[in-house]
Amino acid sequence: MSLAALTSERRTAILAQTWAMSKRAILALARQPATVIPSLVFPLFFVALGTAAFGRAVELPDFPEVDSFLDFALAGAIVQGVLFGAITSATALATDIETGFFDRLLASPTSRVSILVSRLAGAMAYAGVQTLVFVVVLLPFGLSVRAGPVGVLVMVAGGMLTALAVGGVMSAMALRTGSSEAVQGSFPLLFIMLFLSSAFFPRQTMHGAYKRIADVNPISHLVEGARDLTIEGLSWSAVARTLLISGGLAVLAIAVALRSLRKRIAAR
Amino acid sequence: MSTTVDPVRTTSHPYRRTATLAAAFGLALRSLRNIRRLPSAFLPALLMPVFQAVAFSGTYFGITQLPGFPTDRSINWFLPLATVMGSSFSGLGIGFATIRDLEGGFYDRLRMSPAPRRSLVLGPLMAAWGRTLIVVTIVFVVGTIAGARLTDGALGLVTLYVAGLGMSTIGTGWGLGLAYRFRDMRAAAIMQLTLFVGLFLTSAQTPLPVMTGWLHAVARVNPLTNILRLARVGFLGDIRWADCWGGLVAIAGLGGLAMLFARRGLAALDD
Repeated sequence: MSLAALTSERRTAILAQTWAMSKRAILALARQPATVIPSLVFPLFFVALGTAAFGRAVELPDFPEVDSFLDFALAGAIVQGVLFGAITSATALATDIETGFFDRLLASPTSRVSILVSRLAGAMAYAGVQTLVFVVVLLPFGLSVRAGPVGVLVMVAGGMLTALAVGGVMSAMALRTGSSEAVQGSFPLLFIMLFLSSAFFPRQTMHGAYKRIADVNPISHLVEGARDLTIEGLSWSAVARTLLISGGLAVLAIAVALRSLRKRIAAR
Repeated sequence: MSTTVDPVRTTSHPYRRTATLAAAFGLALRSLRNIRRLPSAFLPALLMPVFQAVAFSGTYFGITQLPGFPTDRSINWFLPLATVMGSSFSGLGIGFATIRDLEGGFYDRLRMSPAPRRSLVLGPLMAAWGRTLIVVTIVFVVGTIAGARLTDGALGLVTLYVAGLGMSTIGTGWGLGLAYRFRDMRAAAIMQLTLFVGLFLTSAQTPLPVMTGWLHAVARVNPLTNILRLARVGFLGDIRWADCWGGLVAIAGLGGLAMLFARRGLAALDD
């Protein structure tokens, strides 16, 4: 049943339930800093490392024109952080299933969809914070975002949509397996996807089969949209690539996650 | 009343040496059999370096064009890094297994047995070396298929194995020491994080003359840089003693300290 077809009273109740559970998901992340700090610290560590190790790579003939490697590395760090953060949220959903909290929610008159949406909202909120933290932390070290504050806002929105996409896929896995270990175990897959893209180095400097894989990997295009906002400035193409690719992936991921939710409920 | 000294407990007694080796060998065999019984615990340590060698050399293919880069094959630069990383994680894997044994109570039974204490450190070390030989061999074979080439003959392979076994020793000592002290999975995160960061704060990604700023200052004094240099020496031109001795000294020093850390941790566990 669509939201429009519901009575206004029921609609308000669903929104209130979703809001309450979203707040729970966001507060859970804030209350357990040990689970989220790695997804903040590691991307920043790799940016610092990459900037020092590959600082001279910007002199390569095929390297995109950029003021410093730090500007180049920002987009990769955002996507890397968001991917890891989204796993944390999906793991929390799997933990809810393992501990029986998910079943208690199903036994209550709570909207089923709000159980999933609230977890994804938590992932999105965290991704927004992560993106802002990365920009703010790196600014004193010489980061310049050519697209200015509007570009940063677009990157925040892109980060949130990416979290929605990855969180959706990971939540589907959590719903299917009901195992936090299985969700955590998918980390290497995401890591491989990230490495087989232009997240850390430009596609122009790659060659052979590796370049062909990076060419078709959606993460490459997602990262390059945000990267263009940093190193080139505000353009429709950059905004569209940042938002449309992540948005498209998010729609697909939510469809998969909802299907998994229905299957889990039906299996009960 | 007269006090008698049990000759078997005298550390230099040949029987005790044999008993230590026999017990260590038994523990090492048990650990190696676990590769077959619990492949999920070993496979990441094997697959990650293979992926790392291929992925890094593909992603950072372009950096070989930088002036001062010692090879035009990116896989020649990143294969030794992957083997050293994989070897150190093979050692850490022994630390994880020890945590499982500590949590499951198997270690208490080991400590109650008459097995000499040093065998409880030596056995896992032998197992780590066995795992390392598998990792280095497979990474080298895959790397060679992907285009890696030795530049000064088979001696380069020897230095690669020596560096791998050295890093494995360091990883084992560090892993065991932390496992004995924490006695739970908290130690696993610390083991991985410290070694991972330690290895990346070296010439892991680019050579010293190519890197800039703070990383250059840190990597220059990081002894792990010497071990990486030893691993790479057979892939970057002629093998010179000047590129080897630093790595050997680093292995002897860090390996010795790490094993001492493990031995002291075991003693603390007994207390």
